[in-house]
Amino acid sequence: MERLKIVIVGHVDHGKSTLIGRLFYDTDSLPESKIKEIKEVCEALGKEIEFGYVLDYLEEERKQGVTIDTTQSFFKTQKREYAIIDAPGHVEFLKNMITGASQAEAAILIVDAKEGIKEQTRRHAYILSMLGLKQVIVVINKMDLVDYSKERFQEVKKELLEFLKTISIEPKYIIPISAKNGDFIAKKSENLSWYDGPTVLEALDSFEKIKELDEKPFRLPVQDVYNFDKRVIVGRIASGVISKGDEIKIYPSGEVTKIKSVEKYGREIDKASAGESIGLTTEDKVFVDRGDIISKKDEKQPIVTKEINAHIFWMDKEPYKEGERLLFKCATQEVMCEMKIKRVIDSATLETLDKKIIENRNVADVVIKTEKPVVVESFNEIPPLGRFVLQRQDTCAGGIITGDGCDNNSN
Amino acid sequence: MAVIIIAIDALEYNLVEEFDCKNLKQEVYGKTDISEFSQPRTMVLWSSFLTGKNKEKEILSLGDKEMWHYRVNVNETFVSKFKNPKVIDLPGFSYDLEQHDKERILLKKFFEEEDKEKIKEEYNKLALEHHKKIKKEFEKALKENHDLIIAYFSVVDVIGHLNFGNKTLMKILYKEMDEIARKARELGKTVLVISDHGMKAIGKFGDHSDYGFWSLNRKIDLGKPKLTEFKDIILKKLKEDN
Repeated sequence: MERLKIVIVGHVDHGKSTLIGRLFYDTDSLPESKIKEIKEVCEALGKEIEFGYVLDYLEEERKQGVTIDTTQSFFKTQKREYAIIDAPGHVEFLKNMITGASQAEAAILIVDAKEGIKEQTRRHAYILSMLGLKQVIVVINKMDLVDYSKERFQEVKKELLEFLKTISIEPKYIIPISAKNGDFIAKKSENLSWYDGPTVLEALDSFEKIKELDEKPFRLPVQDVYNFDKRVIVGRIASGVISKGDEIKIYPSGEVTKIKSVEKYGREIDKASAGESIGLTTEDKVFVDRGDIISKKDEKQPIVTKEINAHIFWMDKEPYKEGERLLFKCATQEVMCEMKIKRVIDSATLETLDKKIIENRNVADVVIKTEKPVVVESFNEIPPLGRFVLQRQDTCAGGIITGDGCDNNSN
Repeated sequence: MAVIIIAIDALEYNLVEEFDCKNLKQEVYGKTDISEFSQPRTMVLWSSFLTGKNKEKEILSLGDKEMWHYRVNVNETFVSKFKNPKVIDLPGFSYDLEQHDKERILLKKFFEEEDKEKIKEEYNKLALEHHKKIKKEFEKALKENHDLIIAYFSVVDVIGHLNFGNKTLMKILYKEMDEIARKARELGKTVLVISDHGMKAIGKFGDHSDYGFWSLNRKIDLGKPKLTEFKDIILKKLKEDN
């Protein structure tokens, strides 16, 4: 079953836990016995069921190792499965997204109808913008606390849209909901009869899955070249599909040749796709080495550049000052670089800092200047070639390549 | 309302922290020292709390069964210094023996018989129903003209014994106790939240830990007080307020 990764962000008290609990509850994605237990205890205490407790249950399962995946929880609709990426705090979320530990394909930004936009709402929205997430739903929650008022909804919506415009986010939907009462989560509701848009689940189902890596242009970062009785180029396919007879281009040299054979575990196979570790032999003898990137000649070509626009998450106690040389590692490529600092942000407060050094847990917009050309991609296009690490003795930062990726695209 | 004491059996310091129960924590909070007792026994600890004296020897001499019938002499307790006190279900004072006997019988049955899930369900239900009754009594007392209310809540202890590993359930109960503390804080001049002991995990079950929990709605540094020191602390407050 297809799976879409989503992240839910927003101010801490605006109902994130309740929404997650409600999504699981309304899609029957929880064991019946657990729901029964939570329901019965809440009832015995004279309370309505609190959906936030569902999240505690999921957390408990994770800690006990019942759930295999430690960072995601899943619920299902008829169309597909959804994985909610755990975002316990925005520092962790930012770090995980930037360093590639998790990659959301869509986001829900939650805002309290009564309280309206808070500073944390702005900060979280900014993260979505920074990561280039395009599939965004805004839910205006706790409509029950404002008597399901259309006027209040319009007021918050207007203020929010004005703000989101300034950070280039265009939400696909803005939905009034009450996560507590289940209005417009899985079902439409008479309480909001004036709203004729989709429910949260309908909106999510309308989103598109980001193309699988094997549907994208072919990229093979070369790990090594073996010279036995024949010359075998080995590596793990980052994206796309390769078959015998395909015409390939090798970067950075630009040499072109044809695939003579595709091999796996010493045997010839017809084709191989993203994620597979393979060996390739070529029709012609070409110059190829570890760190080179191979593409298919008839597909979209990668970016070859010495200047890269990126967001980085700094993870070293020793700060970075302009002028220092670092090792840039992207797939199998390793090259020395320097960075020009464009903007530094405190990951805890998301405030822009007026300084030209990057300190521990800072996020920074930078231009990376490599000493030799590198082959990269935008993170949103081909993640394995859109994320990188920077090293001193050890890794000091992780980063993602933004937008078109580079200032001087020499491709 | 001069003094409100929320006496919670087995309220565990670490869970109050983990679930961030702000009303249970109040202004100042910490662990109590119960190291003067050989074991954390409910009847011994509450009787000692009320009288300010270590009652272990006296109560243990009654034997396991008779121990539960023990009643302190009211004149020995700080309760006697108040004009119109209300003490709800407190061990050693106004304890509903029949209710707690039923709980103990079911607990024993759980470990001896086969149909554990059914027994646990019955056990939890019994504890929750009793809790509801005590809560109602407490809320009624809050509206009356008492200068001291002590309400004893046993639900986190009783349910905790069989369900301590069920964090979701424990959180629901701790949040319930936090809500009760919130109500007390709205009305009480001095509010003390106190437990006899805490609870530690034994697999998925819970057993008594060797420290308790205390909190006050006033900024007074008590450090790690002994359970037997609270009698004087309460009487001092009463004197100051008068």
